[in-house]
Amino acid sequence: MSESIPVYKAVLYSLLLDILQTVLRMIPWSTEPGLYAVGNPDSDSPVVLTCNYDLTVRQVARVLAENDVWLVVAPSSGINVWCAAAGGHFGTHQIVTALKTCGIEAQVNHRRVILPQLSATGVLAREVSKRCGWKVRFGPAYATDLPRYLATGQKNDESMRRVHFRAFERMEMAFAWGFPMALVVVILVAPFRSNWCLPLAILIICTALAIFSLYDRIPSKPGITLSAVITGIALACVWAAGGNIGALLTALIFPGILVALLTFDYPGSTPIAGGAHFEERNWHIVVDAERCRGVFSCFEVCPEACFTKQDNPRFIYHSSPDRCIRCGACIVQCSQDALWFEDEQGQRIEPEQIRRYKLNLLGQRTINTEDQFIKPPV
Amino acid sequence: MSTLALMRWLETTPKRYDKGMHLLTLGRVSSLRDRLVDMAVTGPNCQVLEIGCGTGAVTELLSDRGVEVTAIDQNPAMLELARQRLQNKPDTNITFIECTAAEIDSLPEQSYDAIIASLSLSEMSPSERAFVLHQAALRLKPGGRLVVGDEVRPRISWQRFINLILRAPQALLGWLLVGSISHPIPDLAGELCATGLKVVHEDRWLQDTLAVVTAAKNK
Repeated sequence: MSESIPVYKAVLYSLLLDILQTVLRMIPWSTEPGLYAVGNPDSDSPVVLTCNYDLTVRQVARVLAENDVWLVVAPSSGINVWCAAAGGHFGTHQIVTALKTCGIEAQVNHRRVILPQLSATGVLAREVSKRCGWKVRFGPAYATDLPRYLATGQKNDESMRRVHFRAFERMEMAFAWGFPMALVVVILVAPFRSNWCLPLAILIICTALAIFSLYDRIPSKPGITLSAVITGIALACVWAAGGNIGALLTALIFPGILVALLTFDYPGSTPIAGGAHFEERNWHIVVDAERCRGVFSCFEVCPEACFTKQDNPRFIYHSSPDRCIRCGACIVQCSQDALWFEDEQGQRIEPEQIRRYKLNLLGQRTINTEDQFIKPPV
Repeated sequence: MSTLALMRWLETTPKRYDKGMHLLTLGRVSSLRDRLVDMAVTGPNCQVLEIGCGTGAVTELLSDRGVEVTAIDQNPAMLELARQRLQNKPDTNITFIECTAAEIDSLPEQSYDAIIASLSLSEMSPSERAFVLHQAALRLKPGGRLVVGDEVRPRISWQRFINLILRAPQALLGWLLVGSISHPIPDLAGELCATGLKVVHEDRWLQDTLAVVTAAKNK
């Protein structure tokens, strides 16, 4: 029961859909979960699985166009891989469901599936194998590396594992926040001050672009610095345009509020800033020297390359904790339960709780210790 | 426009699920649950499988009737609430299993008098639903009943039109209240017939959008 991925011959249409789904990426855009054939796959072809976020599915199909691959789209509530995996929408159960019900078992004579590496925080690989007999291998973090991954014998090198936040991705996220925010403000302001709409929209988009490209590059107090600079520019523009006192007051107050709102959401929207909110900051990864057997699954799934291997005796070091974004993938995958989150008082969140309740500080961003069933043991 | 507040709110959805569902269905969810149990429990010593027990509202009604229940759900937080709900009840015969609906294929065939799915099929994709219904039919004893209570598409065109208009705000409300987006099942009775079962009863509420359909296996 496979269908061909709709290939949008009209490049313009595809591009417009990409733009729409990027600027409105906060809305779940879903593809029907199921089995899709890319190229002309046969019973030996590799099986690639991804989430059902439409933008992702179309991108995966596009980069694999030159290959013959089975593509399994698993239900992730129309949310992208990393967010869905961290938030409990793309985990062991969704993978098992997709593999069992999409019809792939009748199409191939092997049971090996390639998952996106960033799903490692939600999908317990060995549990998938136990529940439905499929062997999970975590592929590259980015779909664009899939052809290279398939061509090089399905081996991930560090460049395929690490997440990055390049200029284009920063721009995408800036528009993903700036566009809907500008839209809401314009709708609210238009009935009263229609001539303010364009300047306000430009201000919002430019502020979002400034935050997403500069925030992590300003050494101290980036929020205050950005607020001050943007307020200054806004005031200058309004003054030059001969704005009235109302416009001047808006230019004085509005940029500060805007920067505060956007920087509040900034950590969750970037792959570089993990756990900047409240109590999240206190939790860090601990490796137990007694339990570690040097399996190195943590090393394989870490999107920030925080670990260093030691070969004799085999052991892993969490050598770059400053880069750690607390996604918890290492804890989830460790077969020895040798890693966990610990706070400064030595309070610990056990691996099993992290697996069950997705306490990875990306998805369950805050831990409510009063909650009866997700209480970290004291 | 901060996501943090929204995230915090959505994280607690399992605890709000029952109240949310009550609000969303304007209270009709309790009639739906009562009817499900009435249709499923045909006598004493019944063995019932519940697919997607959630917070255990239907499980509790079933256990009050003294039947033996196997309740499955894939959400550990929901299951925990279901266990808490039933822990103080004496003489219950309930087994909770954390697994997906598709994994019922590992349960023994022809071993249940009734199989219940309450508001769980509409959260599945069509291929998953077809698989689950097929496997459920195999797990029924001869004469056993598959009872499904769920969101459906209205049969009359003007009701379908109203439903279409209300759909977007409803979906948003549903997502905020209970943390999931469901898709009304276009032809629930037809899908049940496709598994070889025979539809024996159907009830509808809420402008034809909420249904309980009972299908029986040949003796």
